[in-house]
Parts: sequence; structure tokens; C-alpha cells
Amino acid sequence: MELKGLQQLFYQAMITKDADSIEALSQKIAGAKSLTPEAGLEVYRGSVIGGLTKGLISIYPVCCRLVGEEFFNATAVSYIHRFPSLSPDIGDYGAEFADFLAHFPPAAQLPYLPDVARLEWYWEQVFKGEDNKYLDIQALGAVNQEKWNDLIFSLPKNSVFFTSPYPIHRIWEVNQPDYEGSEEVSLSEGGVKIFLWRKGYDMRLELPNDEEWELLQAFAAQESFGNICGRFTNQSPPIDVPSLLPLFVQRGWIAGFSL
Amino acid sequence: MRQNYPVTLHGVGMSLGSTDPLNLDYLTRLKDLAARIEPATISDHLAWISIGGHYLHDLLPLPYTEEALTTLTERITQAQEFLGQRILIENPSAYLLFTHSTMTEWEFISALTKKADCYLLLDVNNLHVGAVNHGYDSLEYLDALEPSRVKEIHLAGYEEKEDYLLDTHGYPVHAPVWQLYQEALKRFGPVPTLIEWDTDIPPFEIMMAEANKAGAYMEEVCLGEGRKGEEGRWS
Repeated sequence: MELKGLQQLFYQAMITKDADSIEALSQKIAGAKSLTPEAGLEVYRGSVIGGLTKGLISIYPVCCRLVGEEFFNATAVSYIHRFPSLSPDIGDYGAEFADFLAHFPPAAQLPYLPDVARLEWYWEQVFKGEDNKYLDIQALGAVNQEKWNDLIFSLPKNSVFFTSPYPIHRIWEVNQPDYEGSEEVSLSEGGVKIFLWRKGYDMRLELPNDEEWELLQAFAAQESFGNICGRFTNQSPPIDVPSLLPLFVQRGWIAGFSL
Repeated sequence: MRQNYPVTLHGVGMSLGSTDPLNLDYLTRLKDLAARIEPATISDHLAWISIGGHYLHDLLPLPYTEEALTTLTERITQAQEFLGQRILIENPSAYLLFTHSTMTEWEFISALTKKADCYLLLDVNNLHVGAVNHGYDSLEYLDALEPSRVKEIHLAGYEEKEDYLLDTHGYPVHAPVWQLYQEALKRFGPVPTLIEWDTDIPPFEIMMAEANKAGAYMEEVCLGEGRKGEEGRWS
């Protein structure tokens, strides 16, 4: 049997565990001294599925804690069947897990679970993403006042903002290993807007209010400062951008500017 | 770390035994990392982890055939040319053998290291696990290897299952592996040795004791066998 065909068959036996692949492959296997070919294959399959599942648990520990290890492991097997890993780095595996959970009937009783998964995925990506740059205050101070309206501010490049109709930040918080206190979270606490970024090694999970959220969106859309000020002043209720900007700078939410 | 210690880059992502094209994006990232770290060696495994662009993230077995030998030789040669240096290939721990193999694992490795002009990272634990699982002679395996190709040794702990040994890297090095290590040292000299322990990692003192034990064996076997002139290689 040619190597390519053998590897394709092996892949099927590992991932889908279909009987035809296993039987065809077993004909080609001598097995270990005291292991049948099928048992030898199962050793590899256990290692493959176990490794991929461990990879998912390392990225989604809160989801695992919420549903329990047995449920999570079974969910992982279903996910692995549908979504192959496309990167040699197992840390890249699991990007579609939140969407998968949203359409996974056994998890339907936990409607917030996909959004918790989304938060965990974003957390992982921001954590291992490139370091953010800091705003050059002196350079900003040197910009001629006549050009202020043309300024385009930028957020930390390695950042994400997203919303959820559920208090996923609280669910995530009470399920951290070092959390002490009541683990009770009521879904009636309502939804949340999250801005996630990293300052040095320090992960920042921020909860902007409505005004701050709107301004973040405008900066992310690369609108000019003059345009933002005009638009926000004329809307109802108006947003006082000049007073919010220093706060953004102080928090590190502004990482740069261009003209 | 690198300022104070030599570092080796030991990976599982090259998928050298696959029939897919080499992943040049991965190799580019590895090359960039190597330029930054300046590692003593770069190594990966005699295995495949991907097919059709889909990764299984596990070191999967190969048949020991002329076709596999040609495939691996070409890919290791390509990887070495890309990285600008020779790499080390680690022998696998085996739980099955393919009936259409035309050579033994040690014959395959000897031929591969010569044809691809690469080095061997000899995992003594893997060798022992395969020998017990398949009933072959560990010493015959060692005797077949060209000493000048062996540039690093790995030691680890296996788990004793009911019917076979499983390479888990979660236990102290077992007595038969220490014995085999001494046999390897007799044949290959004071080759740099690493204790692999990456699940259920114990306190540092226990890890250090394992490393010291390896050092003591190296000194005893290699110095005791009139290799004093080579002392600098591991001091």
C-alpha cells in the first residue's frame, strides 16, 4: 500500500473511527507483541483525541468547568469530527468552538455557553498576540492645533471588543481558579460590552459604558477626531469627546495616532 | 535563559513523514526562532502528524519501506537546506508495526541518517518501549546505529499498561531504561542527555535528581571506559 493512501486511511480511523477504515488498516498492521492491530490503533487514537481534547480544555477551561469534564470530552469528540486542525500549532485549534456550541443541541440549555467560549478564545488570542505599542504623548503634544481635527487615533492593535446579551464576564470571573466568593450569577444581571486587550503581560478585561463604547467604535473605524467630535456633539444625547479622550489615554486605550 | 544556557529546539510540528508538502510557513517561523535563539540543535521526530493539510498533533507511525525512506530523505534534505543546518531525528515509541515494512526500525534509521545526512536524537525510553511492545532486541538496535550520528539522548518514564508499555513522560526513568542508557553511553560516548517529563511534573528537586543520575552514569561509564580525554564534552 502506498504511503499516502495509508496515511489517509489512518486519519479516517483516528478521527471518524469508521469501521471500514479500521478493518482495512488492521489488515496492514502486525500489532504489538500482546496488542491486536485494533488495540494498537486504539492506543494511537486515544492519544490523538486525548491530545486535541486537552488542547481545547487549555483554551476553554471555564466552558469545561461549566459543563463538567465528561460532557466537555464528549463535546470535543463531536467538534473534532467536524473541524479538523489546520495548523501544526495546537494552540491554533478551536477557533470555531463558540459557533459550534451555538448549534450543538446537547448544550442548548446553556445559552450563554457560546459567548463564554468566545470570550475564552479572544482571551487566548490577545494573550499570545503581539505586544501592544504605547502612545507617544510627546509626539501627540507636538501636533499643531490646526491639525487636531485631522487626527486619527488608533486602539491597541492586539485588542478585541464584543458584546453578549449575558453577563459572561461575571460567569468567567466566578469560574477562575483563584476566585473567592459566591459563585452565583443571575442571568438577569443582563448583557455586557467587553473591550479586551493586553498591557505588557497584564490582560485587561474592560467594561466600557455606552458613551465609551461608542467612542471606541469610532476610533476603531478610523474616523478623524474632528468628525467624531462633530458627530458626537450633535447627537442626542451628546457625548463630550474632549473630556473622554484624556481618560482613554490614561487607561492606555489609545495606542497611537496618524495624520 | 539563552544568555546563560545553551538551548535546543525540539519540535513536533515538521511532520517529516507526511506525504503532504512541507509546511513552509511553519519552517519559516522555526527558522526565525532559530535565528533569535541560536540553538545548539534543532530536532523533530521520525513520524507524521498531518495528511491533506489536516493535523492530528500526535506522532504517528510509518511503515519502514523504500517509499517511506525516499519520502523522508527528500523532506529532511529540504528542511535542512531551508533551515541552513542539519537536524536531529528522534526514534519513535511504537505500538504497532506495518506488515508491509521491508526493514526494521533500526535499519530504517541507519539508512535514513546516512541518506539524508542528518543526525539522530536517540530516545532510549522510546527504544525500550518499542522493544518490549514488539519483542525485539534493544542491544541489536543500538549496535546497528552509527555512533557519529547520535548527537543527543532522551530519557523518560513510561507507564506500564496491562498489555504494553505506554510512553507518557509522566514517571521517573525506569530501571531497564537506565540500564539501556548505560549501554548507549558505552557505544556513543558522553552524548548530551535530556530528561523528558512533561505530564504530572514533580518538584524541581526530583527532576534535578534524575538529571544528576544521568550525569553520574555518564561519568561512570564514559570516564570509567578510558574516555577521560573527552571530559570536556560534558563538563
